[in-house]
Amino acid sequence: MLKLFSTFIECCKKVTILESQGLCFKTSRRAKEGKNSHISSLLPMIVGGHGDVNPNSSWLNGKGFWLSYGLAVLLLHLMLLCLPFISTAVAWTLTNLIHNSFMLIFLHIVKGAPFEPLDQGKTRSLTHWEQIDYGKRFTVTRKFLTVVPVILFVLTSFYTKYDTSHFIVNIIALVAVLLPKLPHFHRVWLFDSNDHSY
Amino acid sequence: MAITSTCNCKLAPGQNGKSKHAYCSTESHFTDKQTFQEGYEGIGKPRNRNGIESFEEVPMSVALLTYMGWGIVILIGYVKEFLLSFVPSQNPEKNREGYAPLYSSFESFYTRNVYRPIRDCWNRPICSVPGAELVLKDRVTHDNGWTFSFTNTFTKCLNMGSYNYLGFAECEGPCATAAQKTTYGLGLGVCSPRQELGTMAIHKELETLVARFVGAEDAITFGMGFATNALNLPSLVSKGCLVISDENNHASLILGLRLSGATIRVFKHNNMKSLEAKLREAVVQGQPRTYRPWRKILIVVEGVYSMEGSIVNLPEIIALKKKYKAYLYLDEAHSIGALGPRGRGAVDYFGCDPKDVDILMGTFTKSFGSAGGYIAGSKKLINHLRINSHANCYATAMSPPVAQQIISSMCIIMGEDGTDEGKPTTLGTAISEQSLFPPKTTPIGFNRLW
Repeated sequence: MLKLFSTFIECCKKVTILESQGLCFKTSRRAKEGKNSHISSLLPMIVGGHGDVNPNSSWLNGKGFWLSYGLAVLLLHLMLLCLPFISTAVAWTLTNLIHNSFMLIFLHIVKGAPFEPLDQGKTRSLTHWEQIDYGKRFTVTRKFLTVVPVILFVLTSFYTKYDTSHFIVNIIALVAVLLPKLPHFHRVWLFDSNDHSY
Repeated sequence: MAITSTCNCKLAPGQNGKSKHAYCSTESHFTDKQTFQEGYEGIGKPRNRNGIESFEEVPMSVALLTYMGWGIVILIGYVKEFLLSFVPSQNPEKNREGYAPLYSSFESFYTRNVYRPIRDCWNRPICSVPGAELVLKDRVTHDNGWTFSFTNTFTKCLNMGSYNYLGFAECEGPCATAAQKTTYGLGLGVCSPRQELGTMAIHKELETLVARFVGAEDAITFGMGFATNALNLPSLVSKGCLVISDENNHASLILGLRLSGATIRVFKHNNMKSLEAKLREAVVQGQPRTYRPWRKILIVVEGVYSMEGSIVNLPEIIALKKKYKAYLYLDEAHSIGALGPRGRGAVDYFGCDPKDVDILMGTFTKSFGSAGGYIAGSKKLINHLRINSHANCYATAMSPPVAQQIISSMCIIMGEDGTDEGKPTTLGTAISEQSLFPPKTTPIGFNRLW
């Protein structure tokens, strides 16, 4: 518990420093020393057999993923806009909230992969976010997934005309979905009581 | 793989006009007449001798629809699982009190929700030998893929799913007759590893024949092609060695290299610039922290890559390996028997000297209608492998009828069986007849693999 708290404080400090420097994606030396525990340096696409140890790490890099993701968010938003009893502002906030909650659940809460991994269960305790590219930091996919909630937040703020209550709700959602993406939260699972020491 | 005959880097016309160059270099032509066997023209002549290959990209619409399909199926799966979680389990594991569950239910999510409804596409039972044609046993499912029931009808189909490059996968013919006789004479199984009691005369005969076929000094064979790679690479390289392997190498090579403990670096598929850069860096920098020179540097490539169908740029790689004093491991699983005017593989296709390739590896599954693998090279190498290879010590020897099938088919290819079947014209026809989809008939969207 104390470890979690100190990690949290340290990470908040880092965030403020980084944001003041305007460099959201620059790693600190301490972050780089963190171990990249996987054998990913040897395993880009392996074809012709059971080569890719964990396909969960690479299917987000596929061609067309960015476009599909954007279209899915657009579809969600259009469906919400169709409801006659909510205003545009509420529709945008709802889009933001639903998108962020889905992202939180599927990328940061659900652990393991939906298929049997070939690595004898090492990834059973990892969330999907931690499995992306075998834990390599700041890859293109990770940058994309970090930027999308930010863009959505900016658009939502604009369309809700910077209303205070909407803003509070949206900023909490944004922080909740951006926080687990920081490198300091790698393998830090806040509400998980299982022993994942392996 | 679209083919061009010019070397000025124009995009090759793919099936829909879009293609991407995987490798393109105007300095590295290997169309030189000197490397081409004199006097041989016509059938079996290699088609992309100018060194340009291109791969067709997936169209964006297909990618989008695929992601959409996956998304919908997975979402429905999650909703279904969520709703089912309120209902007590239909088939709980019996007599398992106190044990951990056999399967984590999340890990079988994909199998249950995505694979199972469309499971009928795979693992269909057949009731004939999987040769050029096969007889399929029809089945239907009435409960969305949980169970199947046979309809007692049979369908004769053209077989596109088996390895049968030269048509040796038949149950009648000289190879099958010889294998039958060998079964009666020598039995089905050897029941011993090669080093103990398992070496029989037929193995010796096979190994001499393989060595003669590929043009090496000696050869050693194993019962399994995958194991040939996975269990022999640890005897060849170890910690302190560097292996530079192609991006698209097979899982058996990756497994063997991981088992060996060597450092692995990957170069872009068939890209000689990338390979040369990695070689230079390795020779100049040495090992990562100590900067000591590497004990040895091994380049691992395949003759023909199974997924893309691309052919290795062998003359360039041999030139690079000589320049930087590295060793070369060539996995000819798909190219032995299928490439080259005499069917001797990628080395024959480019007219290179087999002695230039340090370790020639191949399998008998694809072109010879059999099973197993071989490694061929210098006598010293093979002697080392005979003693130190895991597969030689612990794995059962190759079964006699399997070995006989290889011997018969290899003799036919070499033309030593007295018939004309192995002559280049017939072989070449077989190979070119494999291209059942000439460019003008592919608008339906098939991706040709050759």
